[in-house]
Amino acid sequence: MTNRRNILKGVAAAGALGTFGAGYAETVQKLAKGKWSGKKPRDEHVVGNSIPAEFTIDPETGDVTLNPDQAMSYTMCIGCTTMCGVRVRVDKKANKVLRVAGNPYSPMSTDPFIPYESSVAESFAAMAQAGPGQGLTRRSTACGRGNAVLEQVDNPRRVLKPLKRVGPRGSGKWETISFEQLVEEVVEGGDLFGEGSVAGLREIRDLETPAVEGAPEFGPRANRLVWMNCVDDGRDNFVLRWLKQSFGSNNFTRHGSYCGGAYRSGSGAMFGDFKAMPHAKPDFSNAEFIIFAGTAPGNAGNPFKRIGNLVAKARSDGNLNYVVVDPVLNNAQNGPSGERARWVPIKPGTDGAMAMAMIRWMFENERFNATYLANPSKAAADATGETSWSNATHLVITDQDHPRYGHCLRGSDMGLTIEGEAYSDADPYMVISETGPVAAGASPAPLFHAGEAETPNGAVNIKTALTLLREEAMSREMSDYAEDCGIPIEKLVELAREFTSHGRKAAVSSHGGMMNGSGFYNAYALMMLNTLIGNLNWKGGTMIAGGGFSETKGPAYDLVNFPGKVKAKGLPFGRNVPYEKTTEFKTKKAAGAPYPADAPWYPNAPGLATEWMSSLVNGYPYGAEALIFRNTNPIYGIPGVAHLLDKLKDPAVVPLIISIDPFINESTAISDYIVPDSVMYETWGFTKPWGGVATKATCARWPVIEPKMAQNAEGQRVGLETFLIGVAKRMGLPGFGDEAIPDAQGKLHPLNRAEDWYLRGAVNVAMTGEPVSDATDEDIELSNVARILDDMKATLKPEEWRKAATIFAKGGRYENIERSYQGDKATYAFNPPMLVWNEGLGSFRRATTGTHLPGTPAWRAPEFSDGSKVHDHYPREDWPVQVVSFKSPLQNSYSVGAKSLLRIVASNPVNVGRDLAQAHGIKTGDMVRLTTPGGTLESVAVVRDGVAPDTVAIEHGFGHRGFGAQDITIDGTTMPADPRLAAGVLLNDLGMLDPTRGKAGVWVDPVSGTAVRHGLPARIERI
Amino acid sequence: MDTTRRGFLGAIGQVTIGAAASVAGASQSAEAAEESHVPHWGMVVDLRKCIGCQACTVACIMENAVPEDAFRTHVSVYELVKDGQDPAMVMLPRLCNHCDDPPCLPVCPVEATFKAENGEVLVDASKCVGCAYCVQACPYDARFINHETQVADKCTFCFHRTQHGLLPACVETCVGGARNFGDLNDPDSEVSIMLRENEVSVLRPEMHTNPNVYYIGLDDVLDGRVAGDSAYHPEMTGQAHAHGEGL
Amino acid sequence: METQVQELVGAVHDAAWQPWAVQYFFLIAISVTALLMALPAFVFGRHTDLRAARLALMVAVTTGITAPIALLADLHQPFRFWEFFVYTHKSSWMAWGAWIVPSYVVLMLLFAWSLHRPEFYRMGQDDWRFAWLFRLFSLGGAANGFARPLGMLAGVAALGILTYTGMEVMVVRARPLWNTPFLPLQFAATGVVGALGVMLVLERLLNRDAGLEATINRRLAIALATVGALGVAWFAVALSGISPVHSEALASVAGFSVWKQIALWGAASIAIPFVLALTLPQSTGWITGLIAIHAAWMFRWTVFMGGQAVPKVGSGLYDALMPSGLGGLMGVIGTFGLWVFLMIVYTTFLPWTDATPPASGQSFGQTQSKPARTQEI
Ligand SMILES: Nc1nc2c(c(=O)[nH]1)N[C@H]1C(S)=C(S)[C@@H](COP(=O)(O)OP(=O)(O)OC[C@H]3O[C@@H](n4cnc5c(=O)[nH]c(N)nc54)[C@H](O)[C@@H]3O)O[C@H]1N2
Ligand SMILES: Nc1nc2c(c(=O)[nH]1)N[C@H]1C(S)=C(S)[C@@H](COP(=O)(O)OP(=O)(O)OC[C@H]3O[C@@H](n4cnc5c(=O)[nH]c(N)nc54)[C@H](O)[C@@H]3O)O[C@H]1N2
Ligand code: SF4
Ligand code: SF4
Ligand code: SF4
Ligand code: SF4
Ligand code: SF4
Ligand SMILES: [Mo]
Repeated sequence: MTNRRNILKGVAAAGALGTFGAGYAETVQKLAKGKWSGKKPRDEHVVGNSIPAEFTIDPETGDVTLNPDQAMSYTMCIGCTTMCGVRVRVDKKANKVLRVAGNPYSPMSTDPFIPYESSVAESFAAMAQAGPGQGLTRRSTACGRGNAVLEQVDNPRRVLKPLKRVGPRGSGKWETISFEQLVEEVVEGGDLFGEGSVAGLREIRDLETPAVEGAPEFGPRANRLVWMNCVDDGRDNFVLRWLKQSFGSNNFTRHGSYCGGAYRSGSGAMFGDFKAMPHAKPDFSNAEFIIFAGTAPGNAGNPFKRIGNLVAKARSDGNLNYVVVDPVLNNAQNGPSGERARWVPIKPGTDGAMAMAMIRWMFENERFNATYLANPSKAAADATGETSWSNATHLVITDQDHPRYGHCLRGSDMGLTIEGEAYSDADPYMVISETGPVAAGASPAPLFHAGEAETPNGAVNIKTALTLLREEAMSREMSDYAEDCGIPIEKLVELAREFTSHGRKAAVSSHGGMMNGSGFYNAYALMMLNTLIGNLNWKGGTMIAGGGFSETKGPAYDLVNFPGKVKAKGLPFGRNVPYEKTTEFKTKKAAGAPYPADAPWYPNAPGLATEWMSSLVNGYPYGAEALIFRNTNPIYGIPGVAHLLDKLKDPAVVPLIISIDPFINESTAISDYIVPDSVMYETWGFTKPWGGVATKATCARWPVIEPKMAQNAEGQRVGLETFLIGVAKRMGLPGFGDEAIPDAQGKLHPLNRAEDWYLRGAVNVAMTGEPVSDATDEDIELSNVARILDDMKATLKPEEWRKAATIFAKGGRYENIERSYQGDKATYAFNPPMLVWNEGLGSFRRATTGTHLPGTPAWRAPEFSDGSKVHDHYPREDWPVQVVSFKSPLQNSYSVGAKSLLRIVASNPVNVGRDLAQAHGIKTGDMVRLTTPGGTLESVAVVRDGVAPDTVAIEHGFGHRGFGAQDITIDGTTMPADPRLAAGVLLNDLGMLDPTRGKAGVWVDPVSGTAVRHGLPARIERI
Repeated sequence: MDTTRRGFLGAIGQVTIGAAASVAGASQSAEAAEESHVPHWGMVVDLRKCIGCQACTVACIMENAVPEDAFRTHVSVYELVKDGQDPAMVMLPRLCNHCDDPPCLPVCPVEATFKAENGEVLVDASKCVGCAYCVQACPYDARFINHETQVADKCTFCFHRTQHGLLPACVETCVGGARNFGDLNDPDSEVSIMLRENEVSVLRPEMHTNPNVYYIGLDDVLDGRVAGDSAYHPEMTGQAHAHGEGL
Repeated sequence: METQVQELVGAVHDAAWQPWAVQYFFLIAISVTALLMALPAFVFGRHTDLRAARLALMVAVTTGITAPIALLADLHQPFRFWEFFVYTHKSSWMAWGAWIVPSYVVLMLLFAWSLHRPEFYRMGQDDWRFAWLFRLFSLGGAANGFARPLGMLAGVAALGILTYTGMEVMVVRARPLWNTPFLPLQFAATGVVGALGVMLVLERLLNRDAGLEATINRRLAIALATVGALGVAWFAVALSGISPVHSEALASVAGFSVWKQIALWGAASIAIPFVLALTLPQSTGWITGLIAIHAAWMFRWTVFMGGQAVPKVGSGLYDALMPSGLGGLMGVIGTFGLWVFLMIVYTTFLPWTDATPPASGQSFGQTQSKPARTQEI
């Protein structure tokens, strides 16, 4: 059998057998493994690898027996800016968070939340099936993201050691350095990167030399350290102490100007405060009709879960009917709720047209609350049983060339003798009477009037605020408004009629959808609808948040003041002050042409991170020497910022960039140093809800697991606080070290580590007002506050630590739900007047044009900074499509690393409306190219009916370049890019520069200076 | 529990199932009162309250270590345009129905799948041969082979939690309050009350599986296989293992 | 306008029955139908058909050994196969299958052995290197009178296989494509097609006899006609709406272009070999054989993988139609590897051309002159 054929056969046989072996290797392996061919699960019978129950609750007695291997602690989620109180379940041995649920004490996670007096054991029972209400009534939740973000703790791409860049900025190459080297280098500066000398923080902290030679208004050179922050995650007070009171820089900003700043400013215009920008939220549970225009309850919104929960309940079990006015249909609407939850498509950026149409109709049909609006003062409001009031009846000076144009007529203008200074609070506002202007008193005043007033300085034209609003509203026909916003007249009328058919149990709510080119006025107009029916502070109407308990200013410790504190001063880096205060203005005025300024100024706005990007790259109003990014990601979040990136990466432009962050996101990626920071459950902080909660609520966060960051030489975990303390000590800054925190008796306590600050903060929270009761031993054990008990005892006074322990055991301090209302009125009422005419707004001049803008709500098509219309630059014929952004219900801007989310939704195709798709031959699954004047992107299309005509909508949270979407090399070892982290597209890549700006800057709303992410002019094509 | 009665009434179709459930609930309770009480777990999903947040989906993954390529529960999200009406969103939570007549059970060759005392349909993992016959037989795609343990896997109604008096993970964390869980044998339980007071339906009533998961507000175009394009799934979701690898 | 639905978030379900399962159902159907085709000659004495029957027997044995191994591989816990015999869940067709499969394999092997026994014995008597082995094979005797009852029993087991495999899949109501009474018949008919296809290819490789080729080709034509008729009937019933399960089965895939292609492809895979086998039976064995194998395989692939690509509650189609990843593909190829190996062994070592029915008049001396070991192939 050895002939050739047989050899061939033998070979064939061997080959065949080999193939068989390869195909069945797995089977053989499995066979070899025996009874468990896979990984044997923990429980080999029915529950597999499910985590053992956290405790047992006896159905008869309700007694709770803990699982000794697990800790249950109340702390905070930072899976998004909502910052909910949650309960985390920790595997004690593995120092690992296993799962997250809500905190039933917290209104952010539970409704109705349990009384604060409930023991921790009772709080456990509240959420258990065998507990009261079968656990359903008091169930406490984390959202999809909140359930997943525990994975961020163990994210393999987390930064755990201080990093220093190797090679150019943004090259993705790093080396690890010690904490001590980090502090030394950033403080002392020098030739840090072999690119020339870099000024260190010590040199920059010069409180004498002006930041700008010859322009003292900008304060000292110390201001050239500028700090960009995300939202207050509960640690901002620590940062502000370091930055402002200690280092002496005045330049701190948060992300508001690319979050929902336009809405907040528009709301601030009505609430009369452009800096704090108060905003009210509907009383979701008791309102009968809500118009959500530019906010998507249950899809996003803050507080995300609370709004989602309350709206879901109200539309099912309660009396709520609502309309979501939105260019894109998303989870805010709910089909099974039928007519109770409706969607009204709107053209992007045109809410002002819709709102002004409704206002017009309300004027025409006298459907506004005249009685409410007629109260010209708090006293008048009190007298008529109102809980708020407005300046509808106040008289406004309307002569264009009057020096007080746009201001309200005051007693001093009329020559009345007043007690205080002119135009101070003591100077009365004037209303009209049969005898002419009189000081607003305790009785109602006429709503409408236009005429002349005789003043000591001559006659002046005056109108009531409401008259100005009516004129503005009547300046366009309903048909024009309808055409502009794409909502038919009948629908506009229907909306207005329904809105005015529920007394005060109706409300308008908004937020992110205002981030368009007309956003500020759109928001102001929407909010004015609330004032026209007088719903503020009423049950079923709108309400301001109850606020929280301050950790910094409390009865026990003063965490703000300390010996040697400095006062930061100088006009802010973001130009959110009147241009007229600058030397530039004075110089130009002297030269005869005060306007335009070199770049826009925004006196009616808060700190503007968006404008900072322009300031940074242009060095206007001055150059920054050092920039700190803390937990923020403007390079991902700001539309169009990519156009500024190259300059920002140039060390000659901003010589030192330091990031404090647990991740290498798109912004930290371009920094020189990264200071590792703690992730949620490892960290301290106190936050309050940013809205939507009628009672006082402070959420406390504490390290329920040992943080993962490397330790410094003293054995402390590196992080924000360690870094700032380290720098402060090396520089000898005041306010840190052994004698830094005064108690009520003035005795000074140390601030050497984070605990020194936050534990004392907890005492303040606990002792404010009626102090909380002491934590019992059982509370401490059940909540595992035992973990930090020794620290508490060592740091705090004997009478304090059990109070602080209560704060951590219950995850914060929460006023009971019964405090929400006093009868029909909100307990925490907002008292200053609603401004139907905002003087600050009505009187300022745009720095770039020298012109005025209306002081009432108005509808204006978007403009660039020189006052030219956007559609004149980018006409509809060439740019027929508009792109908008909407939040992902699942992702937020930084959750992409929580891998459980990507398995549910792995990417974000672009949403194209059916007609538009048909016109371009686009079908679901096709690739399309979107082009705007700012950029282009390619993506898969999903064709839907739920998109407004000529609109393309992109879900936010994908299209990353940071977080591991690109290679990261540390100490020569490369962690390869994971394509899943890069999945999808980012609308901001389509963002535009304002072509009329001499100094490059992204397109922003002209008043609020906020980023434009909705309504980008675009073209679409199938590829 | 009177499964035949439920079966019969269930077969009539979804409009009458609400009544059916309440009739059944009442009769069950009468019977149940006599003997010592044995709970029969059920879930009532109020679709009007679901916001599609997927908290349930993720909670289940975390609680039950569901491997990366599978779900014990998830929430389908649809855009629905009905004849001449405005488009509307429907979020539809899906999980094992713990059927009283579970097609997955009789096919199991080795009796690894069984119905537990409180109505849960469970798999004894130490017995399961991984033949996946049950996966084929379940009309709801509620089962899968767990590629870590190599046995059939599915929702257990969080057996390991209910045994300790806790709620299932997905119910505890349900943000909208859509998922409700409790004892169908107890006429006073929240779920029994919901069944009495609402018109409810089940998925795929034509399969006569007698589910213990009921829906409030379920549109019949969604109660079976849903016509229309499937959601966009980019290619790379398959490479589950690259995620999280690296340094 | 009717209701329009766009799924925005949805889960994808992997196929739980992997390509190994396809291989099992493919091979076992070939084995049992081949065995049944071998019976007339070997059991009922139709001598004229002996050469085809030998091919059939060889096919039955080789695929019959390969198939259960594929089945084992599709178990995710293969080591627990013994549980099938410890717990028999009476309501499960698979549980019954667990008894039927080994019965069939054992009976089929015994039957084949008994047919070869006389020649084994003879070869054991010769003086050559492997004689001892054949002495062992023959168990020290040449009698094979029991071949006939064994063959009948194996035939019954084969019918059992056809019944259980058909029913196991058919009873799955959750998969409309599977849940039609046609399915067991289609499995059987396509099994015959597959078996004849393999026989044709083997004929071309081993016998190269135009007469035999034509015989098998003609039978193939009949089998293909049956498959075609079943297919047409399936469509007719489904379209007529008399049987809701059929209509549902059709509806579950209608409207997807990939399924239209599959249907056309399937029709071509039946029609082309049918026409060729009918018109040119003497020269198309290779091509008709290969297409027939392909048709039988594709039918199962489509039913199993395609069936699993149809969501039970979701929208669109899942991605099961293409073998996912190297693992699945290797499973398919590996199974064929084993079969090819067995074929080589069989044709090399076994006196397959001498398999004879236990005719009463046969004695040792009457065995054919050419010993198998020098058989030219
Ligand atoms: N799930 C989830 N929740 C979140 C977050 C998250 O990332 N994900 N982030 C949190 C943060 S930081 C914030 S600020 C809030 C924001 O919460 P929201 O304000 O509710 O969310 P956005 O998606 O920014 O905008 C709301 C809606 O405005 C729509 N829109 C766009 N242009 C226009 C327009 O011109 N007019 C109208 N009427 N609508 C328009 C968008 O389509 C979108 O649906 O959500 C918080 N909660
Ligand atoms: N196109 C488009 N653009 C948008 C939006 C949109 O809807 N569409 N939304 C806008 C809105 S509303 C906002 S608020 C902004 C957000 O923009 P930013 O506030 O600038 O960005 P975030 O990603 O929220 O930044 C927070 C950073 O903190 C870090 N981080 C994450 N978790 C933790 C933690 O646990 N601890 C610590 N210490 N750090 C952590 C991460 O690196 C993360 O990037 O984006 C805006 N940009
Ligand atoms: S809404 Fe969700 S992600 Fe955001 S903080 Fe709350 S639980 Fe975390
Ligand atoms: S839903 Fe499926 S897996 Fe669950 S019991 Fe019913 S048939 Fe079985
Ligand atoms: S996979 Fe396991 S549980 Fe399912 S039928 Fe097979 S043996 Fe039974
Ligand atoms: S009951 Fe438990 S196992 Fe079932 S879906 Fe909910 S969390 Fe998952
Ligand atoms: S957790 Fe509740 S509200 Fe959220 S998707 Fe699941 S069922 Fe719906
Ligand atoms: Mo935001």
